[in-house]
Amino acid sequence: MWLGAVPAVPGEHRAAHVDALLLDAFDGVAADFVCTHVDRLGPVAVTTLSAHVPGEVDVDRLAEALGGPVVVLDDSDGADDSDGPAVRAARAGRDRADGRCVRFPGQDALTGTHPAAEVVARSAIDRVVGIGVEVAPTDPVETLGFLRPVCREGELVLLVEPAVGGVLRPAEAETPHECCGGH
Amino acid sequence: MSHDHSHDHSHEEVEGSWRDAQDDRPLSVARRRFLAGLGTAGVAGTLGTALGATPAHAHGDRPATPVNPWRGRGRWFAGDHHIHTKYSSDAQYEVAQQVAKAREHGLDWVVITDHGGVAHEKFSIDQVAPDIERARRSHRDVLVYQGLEWNIPGAEHATVFLPPGRSTVDILRAFEAGYDGGVLSTPVANGGKGLITRSTSADGEPYALAALRYLEAQVLSGRTEIALMFANHPARRGVDSPHEFRGWRDAAPGVAVGMEGAPGHQAAGIKAADGGRGGGRGGYDASPNQDSFPGYAPTAAENPYRTYGGFDWMTAKVGGLWDSLLAEGRPWWVTATSDAHGVHKDTHKQGTGDHATTGSRGAPIDTGVPQVNSDYWPGFYSSTLVGADSKSYVDVMRGMQGGKVVAVHGRIIDGLDLRVRSLGEGDNRGVTIGGRTFVRRGDDVEVVVEVDLTRGANFAGVVPRLAKVDLIAGPVTGPVADRDALSAPATRVVEQFEVARSARGTVRFTHTFRGVDRAFYLRLRGSDGNRLTSDGNPVMDVVGDADPWSDLWFYANPVFVDVI
Repeated sequence: MWLGAVPAVPGEHRAAHVDALLLDAFDGVAADFVCTHVDRLGPVAVTTLSAHVPGEVDVDRLAEALGGPVVVLDDSDGADDSDGPAVRAARAGRDRADGRCVRFPGQDALTGTHPAAEVVARSAIDRVVGIGVEVAPTDPVETLGFLRPVCREGELVLLVEPAVGGVLRPAEAETPHECCGGH
Repeated sequence: MSHDHSHDHSHEEVEGSWRDAQDDRPLSVARRRFLAGLGTAGVAGTLGTALGATPAHAHGDRPATPVNPWRGRGRWFAGDHHIHTKYSSDAQYEVAQQVAKAREHGLDWVVITDHGGVAHEKFSIDQVAPDIERARRSHRDVLVYQGLEWNIPGAEHATVFLPPGRSTVDILRAFEAGYDGGVLSTPVANGGKGLITRSTSADGEPYALAALRYLEAQVLSGRTEIALMFANHPARRGVDSPHEFRGWRDAAPGVAVGMEGAPGHQAAGIKAADGGRGGGRGGYDASPNQDSFPGYAPTAAENPYRTYGGFDWMTAKVGGLWDSLLAEGRPWWVTATSDAHGVHKDTHKQGTGDHATTGSRGAPIDTGVPQVNSDYWPGFYSSTLVGADSKSYVDVMRGMQGGKVVAVHGRIIDGLDLRVRSLGEGDNRGVTIGGRTFVRRGDDVEVVVEVDLTRGANFAGVVPRLAKVDLIAGPVTGPVADRDALSAPATRVVEQFEVARSARGTVRFTHTFRGVDRAFYLRLRGSDGNRLTSDGNPVMDVVGDADPWSDLWFYANPVFVDVI
């Protein structure tokens, strides 16, 4: 089943830190695909979440752990016309329309440096896309143990860019430069 | 070269009258604006034309008046509008150290810009103001402005600064208390206002506009001669939406005048193997967050979150965001700064003061060991050259307000003179950088560029060699319907001037736009030619492998050409 949620997210923290908090909330839930989304329909952008859970899930417990509402997408006839940020997130995850993937099948096998073809072969990632460069199947992708592919038009895409040492690295790094606002 | 005193009678400014832009006494400023019919109602969109400082949007129905008239080779004053001290929680130096280093590296003016926020507003302002006064007294040949690195509500950071004056500190303090995104987003229990969700969340946007109008009001009321705002590291986190730039400019056209074309932190991309930090050049290694503008999402073609040849993507991309503002006829200027927090290979580290409770990190500690850092001293790598009538606080700011600005890295050039003029009827004297000239429909426009090639070594100990100068131009198509527009598809490089390897001294290039039939703008950039795409554009900087000294660029601000 597909879940959508509006978790309580601490403000102005690194994305990787927020990811860890969100995944902690899934402790004991067999989610194999978890994405964060940004819902911009309200006056202030809100981080939402989608997850695919093959088995059972205690929705109330998960909602408590995430600190916000969780909905189960009603997929019975494909014509679910209910709305709200949690439902929108669940649909976006299901359709791989948008979102940033924090857990996906094969993620654990890709913690080192792997040829681009292997990234695709061993995980749910559909394509490795180079920014400003063509990616050959044999080009090494240095994951640094942190992969956040994005959903685009029904596909799970890993954006990579040239990095020091002639390798490709994911465009999203785990620890980007701290930008201090002094507040 | 001496000033050109020949009078051009199509020029509206009249010496000694209320329209004399050179008369910058406070009462005259307010009175001129009043007499020019530019009361508060006139602020939106048109302010400044009569002052010759901020050309307004292109309108065919206004009498043509040259802005920034060419007067022969003017004087340039090098400076830096983005410098931190121990009064920022993430920085370390004394004001006096930064000013001394700026002077040592050839700067004429600097702006001290510590981060806004609860502790800064409460504790730091009263400490930095006397430090700045002392630095002025001990370095009389350097203009030291007091400023602020403002957390723009709903957006990135920005430099805000004023010339010294009786009300300067009061205005800066009230501004920060009322409108800093950090103050506004910090809960009341922690000393803030608790009025917006996050410093960068969209509910802050109205506060940003109110903030800029507040500064404009201080100018209109004569409490300060001038106040300026430049958006800093605009694409770093993608949180400055295109409509925000347009909104700022429209809210306070005399105050919100530009952005960092190149961010500071230029040492951040030096390879770890070479003793560097191994990060993203400019500190640009982020990716989109929840407050980022979705139109900036990285694609196979580009990553807006990276620098290109050390310059911000918004400036570096031909036909990109900067050009989309210019193509509206909207004046918007670019600069280059150091953003100096901690200097690469300097031996100091942060003091041990508790910034949250004292507003200061305390005196920096000299470890005696070179530290791995992201920044260069002010003037060491980045310079913002400003054309001004004199080296005075107000004149240099007026030069910046009027766009007489060139952003330079690593001393890739020593000077630049640009003259754009009508060869037929119209403005034959022509105008220079940041200016606006006019030509009769169908006549020719001549562009003359003179570049002073570098005569000595830069601070890496190398005499850099300019390889080429690009002339970039595009039509002025008027205000956009979509305020989030971020491209100017018709803007392109119209001519690439090669600089001969044997060239020394001053090189001269000309280009003629024949039979001009619609308003357009043009601008210049130049490069050492070391890192170019096949079509001559800057290359995206590689995270962890970006030696800033081997990829040098300059960017000059535009000239607008009206057709009558």
